[in-house]
Amino acid sequence: MVSGLEQFVNAVQSFSSQGNYNDLCEVLRKSTDVLSKNLQHLDNVLETLDPFQHSLGFLAVLFVKTSNLPTHMTPPSGAAEAAGHAEARALDTLVFSQFQNFIDQCDSSQARLAPETYSEVCHAITRVLVEQKRPHKGIDLIRKAIRKIQKHESQLTGAHADLMQLCLLAKNFKPALEFLDVDICSISDEGSQSEAKYFLLYFYYGAMIYAALKKFDRALYFLEVVITTPAMAVSHIMLEAYKKYILVCLILHGKVLNPPKYASQVVERFIKPLSSAYNKLSLAYSTNSCEEVQQCLNLYAETFNRDGNNGLSKQVLVSLRKKNIQRLTKTFLTLSLADVASRVQLPSPRDAERAILNMIEDGEIFASINQKDGMVCFHDDPEKYNTPVALQRLEEEMERCTELDRKILEMDEKFLVNPAFIKKQQCGSTEEDIALAPAMSGQGSSTFTM
Amino acid sequence: MTLPQMQPMAYQGGVEPMQVDAPPEDNDNSNEEEFYIVRNPTLDLETYANSYKSLARLHRLMFIATHCPSMRVEALKMAIQYVMGTYNVTLYQQLHKKLQESIGSNATTNLPDVAGGGAQSTSQDIPAFDIHWVESKSKKAALKLEKLDTDLKNYKSNSIKESIRRGHDDLGDHYLDCGDLSNALKCYSRARDYCTSGKHVVNMCLNVIKVSVYLKNWSHVLSFINKAEATPDFSEVHGKDSSNQTIMTRLKCAAGLAHLATKMYKAAAKQFLQANLDHCDFPELLSPNNVAMYGGLCALATYDRNELKKNVIFSSSFKLFLELEPQLRDIIFKFYESKYASCLKLLDEIKENLLLDMYIAPHVNTLYSQIRNRALIQYFSPYLSADMRKMASALNTSVHALEDELMQLILDGQIQARIDSHNKILYAKDADQRSTTFERSIMMGQEYQRRTRMLILRSAMLKNHIHVKSTSGRDNGQAGDAVQSEPTTGQRTGRGDLSNSGEQQ
Repeated sequence: MVSGLEQFVNAVQSFSSQGNYNDLCEVLRKSTDVLSKNLQHLDNVLETLDPFQHSLGFLAVLFVKTSNLPTHMTPPSGAAEAAGHAEARALDTLVFSQFQNFIDQCDSSQARLAPETYSEVCHAITRVLVEQKRPHKGIDLIRKAIRKIQKHESQLTGAHADLMQLCLLAKNFKPALEFLDVDICSISDEGSQSEAKYFLLYFYYGAMIYAALKKFDRALYFLEVVITTPAMAVSHIMLEAYKKYILVCLILHGKVLNPPKYASQVVERFIKPLSSAYNKLSLAYSTNSCEEVQQCLNLYAETFNRDGNNGLSKQVLVSLRKKNIQRLTKTFLTLSLADVASRVQLPSPRDAERAILNMIEDGEIFASINQKDGMVCFHDDPEKYNTPVALQRLEEEMERCTELDRKILEMDEKFLVNPAFIKKQQCGSTEEDIALAPAMSGQGSSTFTM
Repeated sequence: MTLPQMQPMAYQGGVEPMQVDAPPEDNDNSNEEEFYIVRNPTLDLETYANSYKSLARLHRLMFIATHCPSMRVEALKMAIQYVMGTYNVTLYQQLHKKLQESIGSNATTNLPDVAGGGAQSTSQDIPAFDIHWVESKSKKAALKLEKLDTDLKNYKSNSIKESIRRGHDDLGDHYLDCGDLSNALKCYSRARDYCTSGKHVVNMCLNVIKVSVYLKNWSHVLSFINKAEATPDFSEVHGKDSSNQTIMTRLKCAAGLAHLATKMYKAAAKQFLQANLDHCDFPELLSPNNVAMYGGLCALATYDRNELKKNVIFSSSFKLFLELEPQLRDIIFKFYESKYASCLKLLDEIKENLLLDMYIAPHVNTLYSQIRNRALIQYFSPYLSADMRKMASALNTSVHALEDELMQLILDGQIQARIDSHNKILYAKDADQRSTTFERSIMMGQEYQRRTRMLILRSAMLKNHIHVKSTSGRDNGQAGDAVQSEPTTGQRTGRGDLSNSGEQQ
């Protein structure tokens, strides 16, 4: 057995020194068996390997180690178990420090040759940290890990989802924003079966982070990504995302926007009927009556609670109040606080005053309160677009648009020189189309029957 | 031509083929409309009824009977009297049943004004249910039907087109007389294949339209109106002689009615306004008063000031119609003169009667609110600011109610204004074009950015073949994956569970 390990170490060292990484990958793939049979000796193996020179080998050992980490969901009760737990924890700490060591020193060009193993290791580490309820420990580590393996900063990797999960659990969103605010242009090809899962998770967790920070437009964008992902089956992540999509849509726009046409039929056919409480809520919202929304919230409180959407659903009510006040600003120049309270269904003029005050402070409406007469004066938006600041803003927006346009052109050019694309075009689109058309329609009908 | 001679010979045999069809028809009518009760109508039932013929009269009387308890008995009696002159045995039985019910309910509730004092005198006035009449009429109807059928067969065997067409028409007439509308419609439509001249086609269309109106099949009505208008002979001679004028007016009125029923009030107004009073004589469809009322109200609700002036007030033909309904004429003139308070008051006065009109009743409230909104918009249109107190008195309402109405109109974008609730003044809003353009362009830019980002991401997504597969497929994939990389599948499954639980968080 030891000989097997020795063989492994030798192979790693010789291939690495030759720089023959492709063959090394092949060897590694076959040697997981050997490694997992010699779990107790793996620490020694790691010591003989250099994390930089033998990154691939090191990673392979780490992968086996992390995927064989014991799971301990139950808290320790007896003394013996406590000892066992401490032991496990020590073991974890060892793996953890080994992983840290690896992340700090590894050669990213080698690591990129085994992206799947790399992100599997990240997933495993995250899993352990989540179980131990120490998510904050991993944030910096995973952040570094992502930076290490990314080819450029707008690339999505499997580990992104882990970072989001850790940040969300640690309620520490700043490290996540650094990644979330960058628009994804490409996705690292990990060839793994659960790629879609981590893709969806990244956007789902990202949306939750944005929602927690009340950046609802970004949250909506992320949720939209989730629910428009091509799907042949109902994913729980998509279902939950759809529920949150309805809530965030109501908070942001005051009505539920239809998902884009390219969204999978699964959404319309299966996910929509599964979220009836949310549809009822949006129906209640459309009446503009706070009472109805409140009733609906009470009626389905359990559902919202179970789905973990309690906070968002409460914000829906708040947003309706705000929306109603904003409607008033469109129709009235002045209005007494008592009238505001009665029209927006607030209990007293004092509540109305507070609500309006808050909205003025947040810049959501433009108004002034005359306390002597108890009147509110609604003003127009003071922005006249004649200041340098406004023009600069416009300029920036335009720049962003042209930048995006450039990107699209670039992509278009890439397509135009893509051999496969050209071939397909030359092949006579007629034949292809005809051949494709029935296949497509067949596909369509099969999704119907599902 | 030969029919009158043959009729006496054919009174034999007795089945009642038309009994099945009529009742569901009536159910349809009463189910469609919400139920309401009109208490104090100022309608002269006799004159009202006399302006209609055939089923139109019966339907209208029945409508009044359902919605106006104080006229119920009267209306039913007139209906029964009229139905005795037709072959409509089913309707006769129905009417009697209703009459019996209403008398019963009146006796218990003791409403003295119903039929001139107590239940005793009522029962004397009430025509008794004549079982002999029912039997003999049923027999006669069946005989006539049989005779017409044999005639038609004879014509067909001789294949004389004109006679066959007439045969179908006569059969249709008979079915209509019996109240069997769907069969009547069938017969009239069958005549279509035997039409030899444009005149016949138009005639057939008119018959079909008539029955379709009774059936309330409005799309059918409209399509046959188109057909009639497209008939070449008809459009050539159109406008020359008076019979064509009559047909034209009849088509216009039917089209107006169909548009009204389908809530296309503006189109309805347009059609009604083209009617010609001198040739407006088709009591089995509408009375000229109806044309005036429907057309006037629809026009008031949908036309702007200029259109109203041009098409209604200065229209020489419609002016004559308006003379028939002086109240409506006053309403339109008051509206045009911007005397909204008296206009709205007059409108309220005629509301009760309108609610007893079977065709316009379902639309009264919509039309009234549209007229009101139009009045508000028109009142405010010349002003930059308006005192809401004056406005409220001009429009016959309270300031608070006016405020609500205005708010709705502003939110709908029908009035560009804002309310100064403190001083009760309505100010026209001066939209700053420059700012709105800036706002819109920034919004547009952001929308573009959002979409483009999504597009780029989506192309990356598709490039990597990311899509959600069925769960079983994914599990298989994972299992296959596990076999490849790890022999210890037991641990692997444990791990799968954990990753799922992680996903839940």
